[in-house]
Amino acid sequence: MASSGISTSSVSATENSDKLLADLHVSYIQKLGQSKDDLAYHLTSHLRLNAIYWGFTALSMLNKPDALDREEMIEFVMSCWDEETGAFGAHPQHDGHLLSTLSAIQILIMQDALDRLDVDRIVKFILSLQQPSGVFAGDAFGETDTRFLYCAVNALSLLGKLDLLDREKVVEYLQRCRNYDGGFGSVAGAESHAAQGFLIMTFSSIVFTCVAALAILDRLDVVDVDTLAWWLAERQLPNGGLNGRPEKLEDVCYSFWVLSAMSILNKVQWLDVEKLSTFILSAQDPEGGGIADRPGDMVDVFHTHFGIAGLSILGYPGLVDLDPVYCMPASIIEKMGLKKGYKNLERKAF
Amino acid sequence: MHGIRRVRQTQEERQASKRKELAKIEEFNALTQRILARKKGNDWSDEAFQLTTKLLQINPEFYTLWNYRRNILLKGKFPNSSPEQVHELLEDELSMTMTALKVRPKVYWIWNHRMWCLEHIPKGPASDGEPGADGWKQVVWNKELFVVEKMLDADSRNFQAWNYRRFVLASMPTPRSESSELAYTSKKIEANFSNFSAWHQRSKTLTSLWAQGKLDESKSREAEFELLRNAMYTDPNDQSVWMYHRWLVGTGGGKDVLEREISAIQELLDEQPDSKWCMESIVHYKRLLLNNYAKDVDTQHLTRDCKDLLERLETLDPMRRLRYRELAGEIGPSTS
Repeated sequence: MASSGISTSSVSATENSDKLLADLHVSYIQKLGQSKDDLAYHLTSHLRLNAIYWGFTALSMLNKPDALDREEMIEFVMSCWDEETGAFGAHPQHDGHLLSTLSAIQILIMQDALDRLDVDRIVKFILSLQQPSGVFAGDAFGETDTRFLYCAVNALSLLGKLDLLDREKVVEYLQRCRNYDGGFGSVAGAESHAAQGFLIMTFSSIVFTCVAALAILDRLDVVDVDTLAWWLAERQLPNGGLNGRPEKLEDVCYSFWVLSAMSILNKVQWLDVEKLSTFILSAQDPEGGGIADRPGDMVDVFHTHFGIAGLSILGYPGLVDLDPVYCMPASIIEKMGLKKGYKNLERKAF
Repeated sequence: MHGIRRVRQTQEERQASKRKELAKIEEFNALTQRILARKKGNDWSDEAFQLTTKLLQINPEFYTLWNYRRNILLKGKFPNSSPEQVHELLEDELSMTMTALKVRPKVYWIWNHRMWCLEHIPKGPASDGEPGADGWKQVVWNKELFVVEKMLDADSRNFQAWNYRRFVLASMPTPRSESSELAYTSKKIEANFSNFSAWHQRSKTLTSLWAQGKLDESKSREAEFELLRNAMYTDPNDQSVWMYHRWLVGTGGGKDVLEREISAIQELLDEQPDSKWCMESIVHYKRLLLNNYAKDVDTQHLTRDCKDLLERLETLDPMRRLRYRELAGEIGPSTS
């Protein structure tokens, strides 16, 4: 990120590019695994597997899935297996958790290495987390919320084991999470929130998780599309960025949460897509690559991934199509026969 | 990373900060390895417990360590403890997490551990079945409600605190009355109308009070419309108020209510001719009239009104122009 000769200074927004700096983002992601002399690298080990999923998916959308070594990645994923829980932890020796287990499944599918999985044990782990109300916990100790429900539904669907799930119970729970604004809360009774930034920095969008889970379960009929899409469209602020709920600041990661929900509801056009695209591009680091939450802030792999994912949904030229329901390359989901009726914008020419 | 400004460093500055970090990295990794080795060996000792305290102070997001800590409590400490001692251990955990939250208030795993502790407070001081058996529980939950109210005083829109508040209210051994919850949301809304979370909590509380017949529904609904009228006039640009209004209209009330509300909002629009939310709401309610009472209303007139307003909205709020255009298309042609 540093270049010699430039003194310490805050970066001004005017230096930002209006084009996607694809090559820089590729090299930014490649370097992430080599920053072992950064304290932050070690302090985020509890998110390592998620980070690999974010980085690898971003590279795949940039049409550079080979930029990280395939064998090394698969071996790392397998080294995160936690024999005791029968699931994947975020890092070797960490406890198995639903969030990292979904990341492991997604990575292995994208690397065409699903044969490495002990599918039966993972399915057993996931099903053990469902509560009598229908919602899911993240692990044996964890609290429940709809993000975990989405992870469970997504993972079971990817493994072709959705028939083992009590779908009715899941849908009933999601219906109880519905709010008067057409949105969904994180637990039955909680207000609508396009994402829950303070919770784990992963699958935090509540509305997205509920809508995507319902899409996978083929039950979008329970969504009040007009009201929800209205609420989502009102998340766009004058600078083009999207916020997570009324009267809050914009953030690049909402580009994905809001956009993917809009795509699933076939309402992306209710946003000003040009302005949104410009906002995401303005949050790039034009020197070191990567995308931040807002222009001029520190970049990270989470926002880099969700920024590029948002641009892919918006039809940005040169990017690979993303499936907004599973947040994986569309061609892979299509090949698995799992494609749902979402609608991204048409890919633009350069 | 959220909201941390990007700073450029020179090569020298970068190397200096790396050198400083190196010692910290070594300490952190060494400590991590020591603890994970003990965890692997099912070590439920107090020494291991103290080590988790130390590492969690450095990194409270290390969820595996919180799990290990709970296992030490469950397998190492609780089996050899009286209910009094379990109670004390959990009180210590609550103060430990409180300290951690003061530094990192948004770390999910700290809240997660806190909830686990609260749920494991034993019966006591009186034995089960006797009065006072819930004494310890009552004290910690009351304290928890106080803590969460302090947080909401500091930031009344803290979404997590509102969620947590609902968890606390639902878990208390002697539940607080919903009427007092309604009063709480009144207090928060009166302090600041622009509080989506408080309006939301209010909608849930009212629904429950009406369903149980604890409030006269029609009187209470009228009072809500009155409150909303004040809120709309105070800040017509506040989305939360309009969403709540839409919810309230949607919960019942026929043609009369729709027409009355349309004319009240129209009055405000006449005063504030550029109010997007007034126009949006009038269109929505007029469309409800068109859809539900087509036989008893002047459909031509209403259709034309809606189309005119949607056209004005397209100019006023061009970011969402395609939505307005779509809505106008759904209403159908305005035949004259």
